[in-house]
Amino acid sequence: MNERLQTHLTPEEVELWATGLLSAARTFHLTECAECLAVAERERKLLVELAQLKRFAPSAEFAEHVLAQVRIPTPSGSHNG
Amino acid sequence: MVRWAREGFEPAFRELVHRYERPVFSLIYRMVRDRALAEDLAQETFVKVLNAIRSYKPEYKFSSWIFKIANNAAIDHLRRRQIDTLSLDGSPTARSPEEMHASAPQLGDQTESPLDEVESRELGGAIERAIARLRPEYRSCILLRHVEGHSYEEIAKMLDLPLGTVKTYIHRARNELRVYLEGARE
Repeated sequence: MNERLQTHLTPEEVELWATGLLSAARTFHLTECAECLAVAERERKLLVELAQLKRFAPSAEFAEHVLAQVRIPTPSGSHNG
Repeated sequence: MVRWAREGFEPAFRELVHRYERPVFSLIYRMVRDRALAEDLAQETFVKVLNAIRSYKPEYKFSSWIFKIANNAAIDHLRRRQIDTLSLDGSPTARSPEEMHASAPQLGDQTESPLDEVESRELGGAIERAIARLRPEYRSCILLRHVEGHSYEEIAKMLDLPLGTVKTYIHRARNELRVYLEGARE
């Protein structure tokens, strides 16, 4: 097998690179492999989009509806409510 | 906070709901893509978790426990819906397309409600639509990893899957998302 192919970044390494956690030695591979660099750039773009997804809020009464159905345990082990 | 809840300290219950309501609701909402239903399933999740708080094992991360139950609620619903969708095609014993059509239930008014409009606005972006196209197992993995920030190992425990399977699902899901997004931008 071509030696260069063996050194291509794995998907996990690409993820580490995109989050700034890949070792310097493996990051160096990107300076000499345009194929991995293109994959890594696309991956980083996607991960940024995913990380920026907003968290949605349920309705304002959500907590009250939940708590109305919860049995709060007492120290003796029985339940209130 | 969990320890206080286990001891029956009421404000701790409220705080746990407050801390996790958005991430849990968001995960379920992105899985089922229906606000009202997501709220019901998220409520069901919290009630189940908080009523079983005494059986919680501290060696397991609380967030992993609650996301596991939330994800199961969403997946169970999607499986049930798949069965219902199949039955919408008509009776499985129908012998002709006409019989199939005649035995299929009639759908009601399809006009968009105000809640539908909110859902279209919230989940209508390219990335949200791409996530919706993933199969549910991939969707859970990608949301837990890249939106909620759980490790591969945590996700494997939450979903009762081998670590290698979780890695494969996430890798495939990212590839599919890129393809969908590139297609949407062309």
